[in-house]
This record gives sequence, structure tokens and C-alpha cells, in this order.
Amino acid sequence: MTATINQLMTQDSYQINGKNFTSRLLVGTGKYATNELMGECLEASGTEIVTVALRRVNLDKKGEKNLLDFIDLKKYTLLPNTAGCYSAEEAIRVAHLARATGISDFVKLEVLYDEKTLLPDPMGTLEATSVLVKEGFTVMAYTSDDPVMAQKLEQAGAHAVMPAGSPIGSGQGVLNPNNIRIILEKLKCPVLIDAGVGSASDVAFAMELGVVAVLLNTAIAHAKDPLKMAYAMKNGCEAGRLSYLAGRIPKKLYAQASTPLKDF
Amino acid sequence: MKILVNGENKELIEQTTLEELIQQLGVRKETVVAEVNRRIVQLDKRSGIQLADGDQVELIQFVGGG
Repeated sequence: MTATINQLMTQDSYQINGKNFTSRLLVGTGKYATNELMGECLEASGTEIVTVALRRVNLDKKGEKNLLDFIDLKKYTLLPNTAGCYSAEEAIRVAHLARATGISDFVKLEVLYDEKTLLPDPMGTLEATSVLVKEGFTVMAYTSDDPVMAQKLEQAGAHAVMPAGSPIGSGQGVLNPNNIRIILEKLKCPVLIDAGVGSASDVAFAMELGVVAVLLNTAIAHAKDPLKMAYAMKNGCEAGRLSYLAGRIPKKLYAQASTPLKDF
Repeated sequence: MKILVNGENKELIEQTTLEELIQQLGVRKETVVAEVNRRIVQLDKRSGIQLADGDQVELIQFVGGG
């Protein structure tokens, strides 16, 4: 019997530190016009892992609804990030705070270097990875698309390495697919594209390279119609994954007729 | 006594515990992580922490992020 799309996708799972996932789209919870819209977009995207950040409680807004009121923790694995941290020390502190909630020991490790590019600080990222892995965290490390750095992070024990396709929130897509190909060739741990995608075709392209998943936020949250884009991203991700598994034809310089040219 | 909560000055009566402070501020205790002088205090330990003059308290929660 021919497999349906749902059967194909659910049979095709992957693991991060022993935990099983089938959706290959990880979605952020930032920048949405409302928390209600964010919740609808998570649902539409089919995601199983959602990123969140940690910030000070606003003491002037007593009793205000919390982000977690809009995220079903039975359904989604929370992936707290260390966004906004500019040193290993700060990132480690934020990871500790996140784990103290008792909700998740996953961490999307970001140690940034400067505000304009939001590029990672390689040394700080490596240092924090070593520490947090030893402390029992599931570390998913945001990095640039440098294949050497990706290997160093894997050697330090990262459970997933997540090169940026292009700068965070820039919507430029995957700028250096060859670096991603080299990273995929060298690493055994899961490799995800984290950041930079702008549209469903960007996600499909990333998935066709063979990464296990794509993590995005702005591309949905700031689309003109976020809910439509969430559906588009789900489909783009699945299309890219299936296309990768199906195996594309090689590119050729000259035409190859699809119709027999003889025997009219 | 005077303490700092999330960088803001607060005047508290003596012997206020961390749990009482969180209650007074109207913050939902189960959704917040608390630090006193940069040390995390677990949810079940907050009632045993008496705040002292000059303490720095941080109350942190999950917000949207990518």
C-alpha cells in the first residue's frame, strides 16, 4: 500500500539527546503581535519544540498572563535560549535559571559577540558548551556556519549544533550551503539550521541539504499573515525533507528529453 | 529594611521571607524563578529565606524569544 504523507513524516523521526521528535520545524515565541496569535502559529506549524527566553518579571503588570498560559507543556518541549548573553558566564547563569523552573533541561545556547550582527562569540560558546554539558544540560549550540567551530562544539559534547543560515532575523536564507554540506559531512550529532530563513522555500532548501531540522521565529512572527506563513513553513519543511530523502536528480548542462524523440 | 527587586528599590518590613515578597508583589510563584544575591532559590525553599537589608532579588520568567 502506498504510504500517506502523514505516515511518511511520522515514521521519519530524529533524536536529540535520546528524546524523539518527528516535526522538523522548531519555532520561536518572540515578536508576535499577541500571545493568542503565537499559540495559533505554533499549532499551525506542527512544531514540537518551541524556544523561549528568560527576562525579569515586569513588576508594574501584576497578575498579567504569562507566556506559559499560551503554551501547552504536554505538547511542546520548551527550549529556553540564552539570547542577549555576551559571555559564557552570563549564558551559564541563564541556563541555570531556566532549569530552575523545573520545566526543561534543554538549552539553546547563544553567546553573542555584538548587537549589530548577533554573530556568536566562538570562544564563549565553546566554553559554555563544555560547562553545561558536564552539568547535564541538553545543549543545542547556536554557531556560525564555520565547519571547524561546528566540529569543536561537537567535540565539547554539544547534543546538537545549529549553524545560522544567515544573521538572526535577516531573512536572507542559507547563504553558504557549501559550509553546511561540509558541517553535515563532518558531524555525527544532529545539525539544525538556526536563524536567517525568510520563507518556506528557504526552509525547503535548508532541509534538502540534509539538516535534521530548521529553527525559525521572525519569518513567521513578522510575516504579513503569520498564520498562513506557519502553515507554509510546515509544508516547506516537510517538502524539503521528503525531497532530501527521495534524492534529487543530478544537474546537467544539456537538456534530457522527457518524451521519446523517435518512433512517431 | 531596603532591598532591590529587579533593580528597583523596595521598602520591606523586617523578617519578610522571599515567599512573602513574591506574594506581596502579586507575581505567580510557580511561573517565576527567584535569585537572591545571584543565588537561585528553589520554589520549595523560598519560605525559609528571610531577606536582609541590602539584598538583591531577581525575579525572572519565561517570555517570547527565538
